[in-house]
Amino acid sequence: MASKFWTQGGSDTEEESSDYDSENDDLTQTDDPAQTAGNRYLTVNASDSDDSDTQKRVVRSAKDKRFEEMLVTVDQMKNAMKINDWVSLQESFDKINKQLEKVMRVMESDKAPTVYIKALVMLEDFLAEAMANKDAKKKMSSSNAKALNSMKQKLKKNNKQYEEVINKYREHPESEEEAEDEEEEEEETDDSEIEDPTKLDISDQEGVSEADEPDDQESGWMRQMTKKDNLLAKQFRDPKAATWEKVNKWFKEIVAARGRKGTGRYEQVEQLAFLSQVAKTPAQKVEILFSVISAQFDVNPGLSGHMPVSVWKKCVQNMLVVLDILMQYPNILVNDSVEPDENESEKGLEYTGTIRIWGNLVAFIERVDIEFFKSLQCIDPHTREYVERLRDEALFLVLAQNVQDYLEQTGDFSAASKVALRRVELIYYKPQEVYDAMRKFTEQSEDNGEEGEESKVPEEGRAPTMFIVTPELVPRRPTFPENSRTLMDRLVSLIYKHGDERTKARAMLCDIYHHALFDEFSTSRDLLLMSHLQENVQLMDISTQILFNRAMAQLGLCAFRVGLIAECHGCLSELYSGGRVKELLAQGISQSRYHEKTLEQERLERRRQMPYHMYINLELLEAVHLICAMLLEVPNMVANTNDVKHKIISKNFCRLLEISERQTFTGLPENVRDHVMAATRALTKGDHESAFNIIKSLDTWKLLKNKDSVLEMLRANIKEEALRTYLFTYSSSYDSLSLDELTKMFDLSEVQVHSLVSKMMVNEELHASWDQPTRSIIFHEVEHTRLQALAFQFTEKLSILTDSNERAIEARIGGGGLELPMRRRENQDYAGATGGAGRWAEGGTAFNQGRQGTSEGRSGYGGGRASGMGQGGGYLRDRAGQARGAGGYSSQVSRVSHMDGLGRMISLNRGVRV
Amino acid sequence: MAQYDLTPRIAPNLDRHLVFPLLEFLQERQLYPDEEILNSKIELLSKTNMVDYAMDIHKSLYHTEDVPQDMVERRAEVVARLKSLEEAALPLVTFLQNPNSVQELRADKHYNLQMLNDRYQIGPQQIEALYQYAKFQFECGNYSGAADYLYQYRALCTNSERSLSALWGKLAAEILMQNWDAALEELNRLKEIINSKNFASPLNQLQSRIWLMHWTLFIFFNNDNGRTQIIDLFNEDKYLNTIQTSAPHLLRYLSTAFIVNKRRRTQFKEFIKVIQQEQHSYKDPITEFLACVFVNYDFDGAQKKMKECEEVILSDPFLGKRVEERGISTVPFRDEFLENARLFIFETYCRIHRRIEMGVVVEKLNLDHEEAERWVVSLIRGSKLDAKIDLDSGTILMEPNHPNVYEQLIDHTKTLSGRTYKLVSQVMEHAQTLATR
Repeated sequence: MASKFWTQGGSDTEEESSDYDSENDDLTQTDDPAQTAGNRYLTVNASDSDDSDTQKRVVRSAKDKRFEEMLVTVDQMKNAMKINDWVSLQESFDKINKQLEKVMRVMESDKAPTVYIKALVMLEDFLAEAMANKDAKKKMSSSNAKALNSMKQKLKKNNKQYEEVINKYREHPESEEEAEDEEEEEEETDDSEIEDPTKLDISDQEGVSEADEPDDQESGWMRQMTKKDNLLAKQFRDPKAATWEKVNKWFKEIVAARGRKGTGRYEQVEQLAFLSQVAKTPAQKVEILFSVISAQFDVNPGLSGHMPVSVWKKCVQNMLVVLDILMQYPNILVNDSVEPDENESEKGLEYTGTIRIWGNLVAFIERVDIEFFKSLQCIDPHTREYVERLRDEALFLVLAQNVQDYLEQTGDFSAASKVALRRVELIYYKPQEVYDAMRKFTEQSEDNGEEGEESKVPEEGRAPTMFIVTPELVPRRPTFPENSRTLMDRLVSLIYKHGDERTKARAMLCDIYHHALFDEFSTSRDLLLMSHLQENVQLMDISTQILFNRAMAQLGLCAFRVGLIAECHGCLSELYSGGRVKELLAQGISQSRYHEKTLEQERLERRRQMPYHMYINLELLEAVHLICAMLLEVPNMVANTNDVKHKIISKNFCRLLEISERQTFTGLPENVRDHVMAATRALTKGDHESAFNIIKSLDTWKLLKNKDSVLEMLRANIKEEALRTYLFTYSSSYDSLSLDELTKMFDLSEVQVHSLVSKMMVNEELHASWDQPTRSIIFHEVEHTRLQALAFQFTEKLSILTDSNERAIEARIGGGGLELPMRRRENQDYAGATGGAGRWAEGGTAFNQGRQGTSEGRSGYGGGRASGMGQGGGYLRDRAGQARGAGGYSSQVSRVSHMDGLGRMISLNRGVRV
Repeated sequence: MAQYDLTPRIAPNLDRHLVFPLLEFLQERQLYPDEEILNSKIELLSKTNMVDYAMDIHKSLYHTEDVPQDMVERRAEVVARLKSLEEAALPLVTFLQNPNSVQELRADKHYNLQMLNDRYQIGPQQIEALYQYAKFQFECGNYSGAADYLYQYRALCTNSERSLSALWGKLAAEILMQNWDAALEELNRLKEIINSKNFASPLNQLQSRIWLMHWTLFIFFNNDNGRTQIIDLFNEDKYLNTIQTSAPHLLRYLSTAFIVNKRRRTQFKEFIKVIQQEQHSYKDPITEFLACVFVNYDFDGAQKKMKECEEVILSDPFLGKRVEERGISTVPFRDEFLENARLFIFETYCRIHRRIEMGVVVEKLNLDHEEAERWVVSLIRGSKLDAKIDLDSGTILMEPNHPNVYEQLIDHTKTLSGRTYKLVSQVMEHAQTLATR
């Protein structure tokens, strides 16, 4: 064992020159120390006079001692790792660094000793593992976690110096016999009946090849393999000699080792990858490649971390190779329903019958997508890494495209539709510009890509054992149509035809989102209403609900862009009713003041997050929502100042307005909310110009494509609402108003003013009529006498009394024809409590409750409607009769069922009022 | 006016034979070149068995006496097939033509089948042959024969799918023979089946509804009572939804029906909303007219649209039906439409005005002064309008109609007693159930 230290201590030059046989070892033991010690002594003396005493005394052990110390420290570190004690680990790390200095000095070399490098590698791995394992991280004590973090920093910094060496070490860690490997070796000897000599032989060989090209980082397959692979390689050195049985046996063994303790995940991947090279039949190759892919998925344990990017890429490549083979040999069928024959894959090239192989392409594709998504979730979006990662999207798209084509060829349309959905989900949120950019990027990178492939080809050629050579049949570049819409249409129609319910629902939502993105409001609204998604989305899984919320948000934005204020508000108000937009759109985690989330919940939520590039800009969304609410609410508020029971259109807006009115001093507007509030104050006075200017000064508008036209639309809307507000507020102060005056005041055309005012008259919002010859409005204000006013008050109170009677009776008896209002209120209370669409937000239990609540509320509602039709129906009709409310949203395909939905939405609003 | 022609949108939803009347109309109106229409007629006929007719058209189109060979061949083929079908159906046809034997049939289908089988050796094959024969007759243009056979077939048929298509065939035949009353009967029968039947897919049902609606256009615009019925049918939720999703062009007919029909005002407001919503998917002068009057209150616009409407009506095969009376051809529908549209404009105009100059009325209504005055007076006299004419200043003065305070009060309290009664009865009921327990 002592010899090992020597060789380790010895610089690499030594290693290169000498094959360390035992005799050699002896030699060095005798000669070497004297030589080197002498030299070192001198230099040490020269540089460091303090230590000279001790050095003098134990001349020979100067080097030894340092090494000994270092080893002790390494041992300490190992112990610390075992108990996950980062504090002491940190200490040891500092210590080892100090020792390193000394050792280097002693050894006079600028190369760090292997022991140190090994320690570093070990540390790095352990750290990566610790970082990936978030659960454990959370459980750590605070001092420990702190140490972990500082350790991370330090190690990163430190390792940079030794990057090259570490990499080298990683490539062939087993160049020396290691004690730690004993376990594995044992296994090896057990499993394989290879005698020791061979082993020796291999290590020899390795040493030689290393000496030959020590700097060649990409020296190909063989190099990167662990010892075991080399054993394999050895066994299959003569590839012709390898038989199917042999390969199969190895394959079975490796697969059996999967998940066993002590099986390195990377190693397994590499072993399998090697095996795939020597596979004897295409079927076998496919079989092995499937295992490679699953093993690659295994590389990353735990749900929260993501698969390393490099592994992901390799995984995609493997999938492509699988597809190549499948395309080349159409008689190979991939299926996961039947357990195939043991020796199915033995059938070779000449076999023409169908060969069944166990596997599921769709599951793989989905997993690949999930890993991609997760990596985007985890990577900090402000780094370059994120951008780099995003580019891999094209890689995935090409894979998905190929798989889909393949599945379509084999006639498995339902599976193809699943894959199509994955593609849809990568495309749906991209506006045309982004889509174009992606398309251009893939086209541009074509040249680069080819280069990359070229460099890959010789590599494969060099692998001597590559048996089943597969031409690249499937295209390696994604093909995109000019217009993302055409692509969407193609994919989506496939899904609608063949997909299952969930796939269809998701595709539909993506479709809606995409249409909305392209400002096709009516199309996407029709899709939404036709699919009845808003009615049963609560029964779907959370990720679909998030997608639904996103689609609604985008639909709202779209409505705003095309100038449909009421529709926009209808879409967005529910999102904003609970104040949990972030959570509903899965764009960041909102902290609730009243409700502490458990770790579990938070983790779940984190897992649901959208990647950054898919975000819908919240500031813009808020601005749009508030502006819509303002435009609707301000005239409504002013019109009904005297009416106690008047309907509130946007509760959220009213609350904000109250808060802002309560402030004693209002400063300059800073955020979106302030801006809108300031605009509201101007609008209430009928001052449309300043209202518009305040809104215009928001800088979120730059996010809009057609900013100018949107602002123009806003200006027109603000003017109109200002006119309405003005008329409501000041009509009592006028006896008549001329049309010209109004057109001048509000900078509107005569036709517009006439139309607006006429509308108000017809709707009996304004008690006035035109005097045509003089072109003026005559107001008829009807003053009630005191008695009449009192009588009105009286009747109002009476009806309130009856209402409460009804409620009381219902509470006692329950049921009956008059239960409707009450039921509805319950429904709202529930909605209010869980925050509108935020029902799912509570995680597991609350979600279930929420669901029950919904279904209860709904059934109650339905029942009430059936029995108390007179009232319920009338109510709904009244509602629908209002030109402005959410009514604009009403009735497309199924007017009846939509009425239901409408009722629900309204009932939400009503909960606010009652 | 070709831009407003709906034939291309309607035709796919009609039976081949039903398209003929439309093409005839277009030819008469000369919206398109004659050749085009003749060509499309031949195209249309190529799939039917009316080969003789196709030959005639061919002759007139190319001004020759020669007929293409394939037509001649096809004619022979058709005749042969007709013969063979006739033979196959012969036993049953002879049976049915014999009034004595027909009397043996009873209301019970199974009995009938049994009886036919036992006594006349008429089995399912013969019945099936009857269907084929009827179908072939229809395709040859012999509608009355087809209608008869189909009627008989329905009485004997047990297959519901077949029965349904027989019904469609019967309806088409009746329409083509212009038996509007009989057609209406068939229509109602069909409607019931469509509503009740559990179709294989909702899509199928939707398609049937669309067809039904298109086919009914023939009936409703030729039947006296049709305008009310069209509103009743089209405005049913299911059918309105169908219109909105798949056939928005039908909105033209529904709007027209609403305009000329004074009785369905309650549903009218709802309908205005539908029009507003569907503006993006379909609009023509008629729907735009409604939007002008009831959504935007743009009376000048409405007036312009009214003129366009007139042309649309004239060029529409269903609306612009001509009536020849003593050599003068009139389009009765147009006059009716214009009158009602005028009334609409004026009514709405009055609602938001207190004083209107007579001149404006004249201009808005497209009438001359005298006529306008007479028109207004008749309105006032018919107590449709609460107004007075001030000849001095040449204006019409509206009486302000404020809601009466007392009426309002009564309205407010009206429902209270009913609700209270209900409450009381509930309490009593509850008490009783408690007592009996």
